[in-house]
Amino acid sequence: MPNQEFQLPEPYRDTSRKIIHIDMDAFFSSVEERDNPSLKGKPVIIAKHPKKTGGKGIVSTANYEARKYGVHSAMSAYKAYELCPNGIFIDGNYPAYREASHQIREIMQRYTTLVEPVSIDEAYLDVTHNKKEIPSGTIIAKQIQKDIWNETRLTSSAGVSYNKFIAKIASDMDKPAGLTVIPPEEALSFLRQLSIEKFHGVGPKTAEKMHRLNIFSGEDLYQMEQMDLISNFGKAGISYYNRVRGIDNKPLCMKRERKSVGKEHTYFNNLTTDQEVLDELWQLAKEVVRSLQRVQKHGKTVIMKIRYRSFETVTKRMSVPYYLDEPEEIFNQAASLWEEVGTIEKGVRLLGITITNLDPIEYKPITLF
Amino acid sequence: MHFTIDTNKFVTSVQHANRAVTSRTTIPILTGIKISATTEGITLIGSDSDISIETYIPYSDEEREYMTVHEEGEMVLQAKYFSEIVRKMPGETLTLKKDGQMAATIESDSVIFNLNGYDPENYPRLPQLEEDHVIQLPQHLLKDIIRQTVFAVSTQETRPVLTGVHFEIKDGKLTATATDSHRLAMRTIGVEAEETLEINNVIIPGKSLVELSRILDDAENMITIVVTSTQVLFKMENLLFFSRLLDGKFPLTSNMIPSEGKTSMTVSTKALIRSLERAMLLSREAKNNVIHLRSNGPKEIEISSVSAEVGKVKESLSTSDFDGEELQIAFNGKNISDALKVIDSENISILFTGAMSPFVVRPIDHEQMIHLFSPVRTY
Repeated sequence: MPNQEFQLPEPYRDTSRKIIHIDMDAFFSSVEERDNPSLKGKPVIIAKHPKKTGGKGIVSTANYEARKYGVHSAMSAYKAYELCPNGIFIDGNYPAYREASHQIREIMQRYTTLVEPVSIDEAYLDVTHNKKEIPSGTIIAKQIQKDIWNETRLTSSAGVSYNKFIAKIASDMDKPAGLTVIPPEEALSFLRQLSIEKFHGVGPKTAEKMHRLNIFSGEDLYQMEQMDLISNFGKAGISYYNRVRGIDNKPLCMKRERKSVGKEHTYFNNLTTDQEVLDELWQLAKEVVRSLQRVQKHGKTVIMKIRYRSFETVTKRMSVPYYLDEPEEIFNQAASLWEEVGTIEKGVRLLGITITNLDPIEYKPITLF
Repeated sequence: MHFTIDTNKFVTSVQHANRAVTSRTTIPILTGIKISATTEGITLIGSDSDISIETYIPYSDEEREYMTVHEEGEMVLQAKYFSEIVRKMPGETLTLKKDGQMAATIESDSVIFNLNGYDPENYPRLPQLEEDHVIQLPQHLLKDIIRQTVFAVSTQETRPVLTGVHFEIKDGKLTATATDSHRLAMRTIGVEAEETLEINNVIIPGKSLVELSRILDDAENMITIVVTSTQVLFKMENLLFFSRLLDGKFPLTSNMIPSEGKTSMTVSTKALIRSLERAMLLSREAKNNVIHLRSNGPKEIEISSVSAEVGKVKESLSTSDFDGEELQIAFNGKNISDALKVIDSENISILFTGAMSPFVVRPIDHEQMIHLFSPVRTY
């Protein structure tokens, strides 16, 4: 039982900001349909066709037509094929997606410099003070959606509110090409009627735990004591308590910190000797170091990924108490991980080295010899 | 095997032998301590195959008799349990009796333990060393040498030789050197040995020296050191300490020490330690410990440190005998304070050779100790 005498002060709800969340509608497949109008009205699935890969691969996007069959992103391509055998599987033209994403970000930048890209197809904007001096977030959101459509022929959905958390939920309310505005006075009733699964940050595991505590809706969550939420969910408990009260004062994060840098290679002729593996690890180590240098970072953890002929995939990580930024050091760590977990007899189809636990390079010890 | 022995005497001996035993051994029998009893005395052996310690309790010394041996014999008992059991025995004496093939009964007052063991026939034999290369040192001096060098060994297994302390004897002088490639600690003393004796590239694992140093007294008693190409043996009264030597070539360090520099100064050892410790309070999770030092005229230096998330600190420290150019340098403060803590002199001199090159710290009252550090490049 939490200490009943211990009460945290009630958090402050900042409603002074105007935040927009823009989420592109079925982004990859929309780009494909735009570039190939014959796809219109057909179920489009962005994934390698399972027949070409022997049943491997994952769906990165499905258009709304395909979603009617129950296909969704992160599903195995094989499952998608079972659900929707007539689906059109497309490998994915990533350069085209990146270009569209870049165009869209440029449009957003016309309105404000406060743009936080979340991923290739979504972003937050803080338009409290904006370059066009438009007082209404709703009008800006509408104009951005219109600009995006005019300039890229792609549709987007927007959520407008006074913080990131509500704007994000709002953008998801009316897809595709929707616009949902949640003003401060409506925020609390809006959040309280939501099912708990709709809360951003509540994944399936947390939802299950919430259900065990008889929390099914925002209303149920609202009734919980702050200390009870903290004792059940730790630090996240504070954030749940605040969010259901419409409180999320986090500012936009303009620069996404790189959390890891990695490289991987697939070998169509499987590697079958230790020497081949070591040679490839050395190549990967050099490439990873080049990427690290580009982002001016170094890290203390090496993650090694091995995929065998059978597609069995092993990852193993190892941390060292010093920063890794030389190819020799990274290679040594990777080689010892290979020695520890690798089995050459299984035939190596893919190798990857990732450095994580990154910090910016601020200093570098010089050695004596 | 069956004997009754003075509990305190036995506990001390067991604990010494137990220092060599680790639970993380791949050889199961090495989790045990071997006990051998004869009418002359009792021998205990513990080993992790890198370090082996043999302790001996003679039947008696000038003062008194310590034991009654009813029956001679050998046993190997689990060190983890055995060492704790004897330590917690209530009586002034305890009795250990072989019970069946491998088990033992340990009794003291009304307490009776039955403990399973291993077959002593399977316990490895300790190395027999040729005593061609022998030197002698007072224990307290060896203890000092270890304390003043072993902190600087590398903890990284990437270059195993750097995890040890290098010993060299030449012209009647013993030099111990440790380095992790960012700092180097060197201690020299005169030794009693045959004049012709020369020893080079003897690298003793840092871990062995740390264990040895815990056994050593601050006493004048002499310790005999026997060196072979693969092993070293430290012989004390009633205790033998064996360690394997590290394989490989230690970096040539003698020519690394610069004799001339660009800036030199003298500071109080304690004042600098305290200043560095304050400056390191802000280092996030002790990760970087980067300290900036700047000369501020001939009378003082400024010590500062910045931690982006936490804050910053700045202080000035008075110096004397300042000579040479103005200076600005950054270094790992932890490395410096580690070294300062083993310098027993009141004042130290620092010789800088430039912002990006090594600098030397030594006590000002004798020549037997040198610490070398590389700076840190900041961006």
